[in-house]
Amino acid sequence: MSSSQVKLMIDGNTLEAPRGMLLVDAALRAGIDVPVFCYHPKMEPVGMCRMCLVEIGRPSRDRQSGEFLLDENDQPIINFGPNLETACTTRIDEGWVVYINSERALEGQKQIVEFLLTSHPLDCPVCDKGGECPLQDLTMLHGPGISRFSFHDKMNSLKRVALGELIILDRERCIQCARCIRFQEEIVDDPVIEFSNRGRSLEIVTFSEPGFDSYFSGNTTDICPVGALTTSDFRFGSRPWELNAAASICPHCPVGCNIILNTRREVKMGGSEIVKRVLPRQNEMINEIWICDKGRFAYSYAMDSERLSQPMIRVGGELEETSWDNALKVAAEGLKQSGANLLGLAGGRASNEDLYNFKQLIQGLDGVSMLNDFMAGGKQNQQIGLGPGSNLGDLGVGDAIVVIASDLLEEAPIWWLRVKQAAERGAKLIVANARFTKLEKYSAHTVRYSFGDAPETVLGMLHYVTGDSSLNKYAKVDGQEESARIIKEATNAVLFMGSEGSDSESSKRLVQACGSLLAATEHIGKANNGLIPVWLKNNTQGAWDMGLTPPEKHLAEEFRDRTALYLMACDPFGDNPEMLQELPQDAFVIVQELFHTPSVDRADVVFPAQSFIERDGTLTSGERVVQLFYPAVSPHGESLPDWKILARIGALLGVAMESTSAAGVMNRIAEDIEDYGEIHYRELMNREDQWPPVGGKQIYFGGTAYENSQGIGIRLSSRAQRGEAYEPVWKESPKKPKGEGIRIVPIVKLYDQGTTVLPSLLLAQRIGQPELVIGQEDADRLLLQNGAQVEVQWNGTAHQFPVAIDNDIPEGIVLLPRNRQLGLEMPMACNLTPVKPTSKEKGE
Amino acid sequence: MLQDNHATEIAQILERYPQASKRAAVMPLLFLAQREVGFISRDAINEIAGLLDLDPTDVGSLIGYYTLFYDKPGGKYRIQICTDLPCALRGAEKFSHEVCEMLNIQVGETTEDGFFTLEEVMCLAACDRAPLFQVQGKGGIQYHENMTLESTTAFIESIREQDANE
Ligand code: SF4
Ligand code: SF4
Ligand code: FES
Ligand code: FES
Repeated sequence: MSSSQVKLMIDGNTLEAPRGMLLVDAALRAGIDVPVFCYHPKMEPVGMCRMCLVEIGRPSRDRQSGEFLLDENDQPIINFGPNLETACTTRIDEGWVVYINSERALEGQKQIVEFLLTSHPLDCPVCDKGGECPLQDLTMLHGPGISRFSFHDKMNSLKRVALGELIILDRERCIQCARCIRFQEEIVDDPVIEFSNRGRSLEIVTFSEPGFDSYFSGNTTDICPVGALTTSDFRFGSRPWELNAAASICPHCPVGCNIILNTRREVKMGGSEIVKRVLPRQNEMINEIWICDKGRFAYSYAMDSERLSQPMIRVGGELEETSWDNALKVAAEGLKQSGANLLGLAGGRASNEDLYNFKQLIQGLDGVSMLNDFMAGGKQNQQIGLGPGSNLGDLGVGDAIVVIASDLLEEAPIWWLRVKQAAERGAKLIVANARFTKLEKYSAHTVRYSFGDAPETVLGMLHYVTGDSSLNKYAKVDGQEESARIIKEATNAVLFMGSEGSDSESSKRLVQACGSLLAATEHIGKANNGLIPVWLKNNTQGAWDMGLTPPEKHLAEEFRDRTALYLMACDPFGDNPEMLQELPQDAFVIVQELFHTPSVDRADVVFPAQSFIERDGTLTSGERVVQLFYPAVSPHGESLPDWKILARIGALLGVAMESTSAAGVMNRIAEDIEDYGEIHYRELMNREDQWPPVGGKQIYFGGTAYENSQGIGIRLSSRAQRGEAYEPVWKESPKKPKGEGIRIVPIVKLYDQGTTVLPSLLLAQRIGQPELVIGQEDADRLLLQNGAQVEVQWNGTAHQFPVAIDNDIPEGIVLLPRNRQLGLEMPMACNLTPVKPTSKEKGE
Repeated sequence: MLQDNHATEIAQILERYPQASKRAAVMPLLFLAQREVGFISRDAINEIAGLLDLDPTDVGSLIGYYTLFYDKPGGKYRIQICTDLPCALRGAEKFSHEVCEMLNIQVGETTEDGFFTLEEVMCLAACDRAPLFQVQGKGGIQYHENMTLESTTAFIESIREQDANE
């Protein structure tokens, strides 16, 4: 037995565990339950609720030698203290004898439950938590049948306190465990809820504006051990035992959080199955037991009544609903006639199976297929991305994490969380961006460059690593040298690369520079080392892997002279209405979509696609983990999965494609694409034991997140890991276009106005109206005050926004959240003109 | 805004704490805010949060924790009579009752002229000198021990007089 392991006895079972482990954890790992309320395995113990009372006996030691004292039978003499102790705050040591289920311990636990219930309402029959409630379960297990307390002394409090528009508090039900408060403070560092008052009057309050509006707020409802915190979508929505559970993958960002879609048949919906709520599904390698509020609340878009439900064809200028057979025939005819110069454009939110079939179809028709994106990095990710065995949760002391050109909190919240936690565990975090982002708070180093200079900044770091003198012209901003040293000395290093401030050209240079930096510091080809691109869409990496890459030229140029355009899961005419002018008038357009987007308005044939809740498929996360999602509800109207629509058209045009099932398409992918050689549905369904236990019987311990029994996915290996050498290359920066004027830079906000967010009623209040962020100097020059309207012109279009002044933004730069209808994919030159308020608006 | 009237004092308070732990200044700043108008307004909470880079929730939640902070306006003077067990044994409850009657208010209420709010509080750590109360108002906090209705009446009158002369 190593000295770091200790032997102890719990309820008569002898077990070994690491010295200093919390007793509650050691017991549960050995399969012995300790009831807890306030303890949560992801947070520091606080010992507030006293539910975990146990008897602890410690061996007596000889004062001089430190040896155990033995009794006449040569057994150590064990001393039990006069009081019960809390298992959640006590760290184990050698030779302990612990009783969790002794008469004394059980009596103590029973009294605590009796106490907790003195003011707890008898709400179970109407409480959302009923059926999956730790208080209910532990009362049944440990509680007394009757209370000695007078009912008249019960505290009565407010039953409906809207902490924010998404989280509702029932003050009577709160048992004051502080899990929610500690989660907000310790885990996500957004302390917008707190206890106020004392003793029996203790209550949860918020003084923040606007209330409990935190990107991770929903998780508090999973770990609240009672029905005190509920989400507004599920409140009084269903009993937990009526729900079916389908495993899925969040489709909103490249993290790929594992989720559960809880569904139920609903009378209101004519008896059809609908999603009642989204809960996290445990995957300690990806999202642990958390998800962000976008993943939890945006799902309602998939059930929106505006969804396309029938194929449509254009007849005499108008779109008319028609049968699948007819629509497919018209589409096939159209492609036959006009397909000479065909462009296929797909979006990064489609599944691997869709994207693979898309590529096959367009290729089979001698067309050109592309990904509707501009950010580079998919190829480098295949070469040097994180490989098998990686887990961001393993990064800590001695490791380095670099985040460049990304506002991780807005773009990929769970990555932000895991990077923050790695930094708190001791990993050195370097945040490089052209402006302040919230991640900087946890960084060992920040590097602030000018907008657009991300590639040069990395090349400057490379200079300090390699000493290459041709690069010393790039070593010019503070922190480059120190960052280079940290990366070089780190045991493991992971680099997150985003696209903020980049255009397609500089994005390419950025990824080359990043790859070269990782190669030069030998952080490739090993677990927990390499690159993670922070894609704008969830499955962009999958698209690259399926062979789709962004256009080489500007999309407008790609549209010119086309005779036919095939769009899947993207809306180029909605993103930028100007594009309508670029596509020839008589070009034949097919669109596969969920909603009636502006691109649908330009279509000759429209196919209704299924959303992720209605079908199965796989997605590849930014970390290159391939994960499986399952169907949860029956298809909306006559919609079909994208891969199937493509296969059916292929059949009419003589392009042979897999048309039986998504699993079948995945088998084709495995045959065809080397990196996916090992990927089959069966392997994707593999599970693994994970700590902490959640859901099911262990609901009181880890919360209501679901245990992962449907598959934790597979991490693709990188080429470097398979032994392929990586050739570092970088390009010199082109001369910057000199010239004054202001550049407008698109940034990402979590609640954007994307096709899959805008229809989400739950998030409506949070989406908000976009503001133009401007620095103090420019604001002063233009005599702009916070909130003033300004007209912004770029690319021949003009838009009006209210301005928000931010001291941190340098002169000559304005920021605007990415948004539909703006045609602002990459930074551009723009013109600002203050809008004079009319006298009415001035309120005069 | 506190900053408008108390900029120097605020700067002095902030100076007492190292930059890295400036949140420690939250208590003196709350005192300052309360001294200003007798209670801590929502605006004051936001202002203090801004000064210390805290979330307003971190500041506001303290007010409920400490019984000497108020989130609602009251009288110019708060008379806080201890009615905890030892004091109660020495007649504090009856005393409180009488003072209420004399002021023509109930516990928790404020006199019509806005001068006095009467509260019953827990042990003030002077049990042997009951009945007693503390007064919170202009001039900070003062104890008045071994009180009778007469001495209390006299005290109240003296305050009213004093205020009239100012
Ligand atoms: S609301 Fe729930 S999680 Fe928060 S303190 Fe109360 S019981 Fe605990
Ligand atoms: S972090 Fe990304 S993947 Fe995870 S729940 Fe949020 S949007 Fe979905
Ligand atoms: S005191 Fe141990 S779980 Fe609450
Ligand atoms: S009980 Fe009143 S002062 Fe102690």
